[in-house]
Amino acid sequence: MRFGDAAGFALTSLKKRRLRTFLTAAGVTIGIGALVCMISFGKGMQKNVTEAFKSADLFNSIMVMPGGPSEAAGDPDEPGTRRAVPAARTDAVLDDAAVAAIARIPGVVSAYPEINFPALVSLEGEEEFRLVQVVPAAVAASPAVRVKWGRTYTTDNEAGVVVSRSFARRLGAKDPAAVVGKTLRITSVSFDVGKLASLDLSKLFSGGGLPVAQEHYDLPILGVTEATAFGEGGSGLGQNDVFLPPGPARGIKRLPITSVWDVFRMTEGGLGYSAVSVKLGSLRDLEAVKSKVREMGFSTFALADQFEEVTKAFFFMDMILAAVGMIAIVVAALGIVNTMVMSILERFREIGVMKAVGAGDGDIKRIFFFESGAIGLIGGAAGCLLGWATSLLINRIVNIYLARQGVPSVGYFAFPVWIFLGAMGFSLLVSLAAGIYPARRAARVDPVVALRHD
Amino acid sequence: MNAKPLVQTRSLSKTYVVGDVRVAALADVTIDVGEGRFVAVIGASGSGKSTLLNLLGGLDTPTAGTIEVDGALISSMDREALARYRRHGAGMIFQSFNLVPARTALENVELPLIFAGARRAERRRQAADLLGKVGLAARAGHRPSELSGGEQQRVAVARALANGPRILLADEPTGNLDSRTAREIVGLLAGLNRDSGLTVVMVSHEESLVREFAHDVIRLHDGKVLAGEGAP
Repeated sequence: MRFGDAAGFALTSLKKRRLRTFLTAAGVTIGIGALVCMISFGKGMQKNVTEAFKSADLFNSIMVMPGGPSEAAGDPDEPGTRRAVPAARTDAVLDDAAVAAIARIPGVVSAYPEINFPALVSLEGEEEFRLVQVVPAAVAASPAVRVKWGRTYTTDNEAGVVVSRSFARRLGAKDPAAVVGKTLRITSVSFDVGKLASLDLSKLFSGGGLPVAQEHYDLPILGVTEATAFGEGGSGLGQNDVFLPPGPARGIKRLPITSVWDVFRMTEGGLGYSAVSVKLGSLRDLEAVKSKVREMGFSTFALADQFEEVTKAFFFMDMILAAVGMIAIVVAALGIVNTMVMSILERFREIGVMKAVGAGDGDIKRIFFFESGAIGLIGGAAGCLLGWATSLLINRIVNIYLARQGVPSVGYFAFPVWIFLGAMGFSLLVSLAAGIYPARRAARVDPVVALRHD
Repeated sequence: MNAKPLVQTRSLSKTYVVGDVRVAALADVTIDVGEGRFVAVIGASGSGKSTLLNLLGGLDTPTAGTIEVDGALISSMDREALARYRRHGAGMIFQSFNLVPARTALENVELPLIFAGARRAERRRQAADLLGKVGLAARAGHRPSELSGGEQQRVAVARALANGPRILLADEPTGNLDSRTAREIVGLLAGLNRDSGLTVVMVSHEESLVREFAHDVIRLHDGKVLAGEGAP
């Protein structure tokens, strides 16, 4: 029996039972649609996160921290994997001299300290307590800070700030463009030496006698950063609502500590920076620069080292999403088995006739395999369309919702061609597997019994 | 029976098990069918006529004994070899015609050619020729439901001849037909036997038709060949 003839038999039979074919294929369509939707969502998330990291130059960055061995030195669960790296000296201070020395290491494009301090930030009467980021002009001009309205500061000494769109919104500014040029008041908190001398312990516990002074600094807003779905103002910087150049930052009196860890470092003597961000020209220099920095007595953290773990996490996410989609496929496969078994019962006599005129077991199997395969292909193709259309619809609804929150439109789903080809192939495979039992059962039909069947 | 035997059965038996009861449909049947002969198998209902024909047609396998057709021992063939035998070696027609209702007369005749792997154009031509041979060229595009009983049986005959078998097995081909049509159909089979040398084994109740057309008669009773009938 020729391939085309087996296909012809199958299509004729499917056409004859249009409604049942449609309903069975609809089950496959929903299953494949769910699978396409789930996997394209997983791939979309992976793509967005990876691109956000890439655009913020995070793969070309090293975070340098004072003292202590870094996790990147090896897996603590597997001592054998620990690399031979110089142990970080705990007495090394991450001060300006150290930052300058790091900046001189070949391959380093820039090195700047991670400085932030708490302050009360107000705009036209509305105020909020935030951590102010001190970021050099070179970094503020990089993709790490995405200024969309206005501009970023051009020199480290320029008097001005950049704020995030969501921060501006929280302070009552609906139009980010209108915020540019307005004055932002930063109220910092610092120790008041005068008050410290006349410290009244009885008032201290009621909160009134703290030896702190408040200073106001007015700076013009130069620019507003774009909000993205994967990080406000640029995913490279963590708390990133207010960016301040180093020049004006030096003039601001502030508490020298922002966290409990800083208190510990103070007691160890010599308070340097808590972290220094190092940008590399190329990922190729990563190991060499890390090694040099460690020799200086600091520990390092590079996201590039962690990316394999991130990829692994996405793989597991894909697997979980695919497993959810698989449930629908299994149900659809059972639908195919049911339809095909029904088809055998209805065509029992016809199978007998075919055998009587010379059809072999293989011919009968082939006809039934083609039928279930055709259901799989039709359902798979429709499922790809359904999954694609549903994904676009969900994407649109989510974007409409997020647009109201000021988040720009993002594609949460990715549709590489392999998803569709894979879904079609998988659908065909599942439907053929679902056809195994009915095909074998049809092939085993006894022609004598079948020809007697009414 | 002077002709060389095309079909030989030796001690052929077929036993069915129904629940705990064993029913012997055929017991120790030994017959020869000469090449080019028109042989009638007669007997009462339940005498094993159809069972014998199903065994000769390769639709069923014997419990004991052997069947040899044209030198091939079909009683020991596996399922695929039996399918090949049904496709090329023996053509069968039935009382209830057994045409596929969804297919036209031409498409029904095409069926054995499809399983033989013939190309579409070639099998269309062959099927049309065969329908012409049984006098149904004008009815090629009709479905079985649009044909009379006699016409349906003619389509079944054309289909049975599709792959050029050496033997035609007819299981009560006139059972569902009026006497005039029945005579026409048996006449058609006799014509094929006479003109093409096709060996025909026909199960029938119609004594008059058997007397008129059959060269040899095998009389079955309770699954056994009556003495002196059909034996070598």
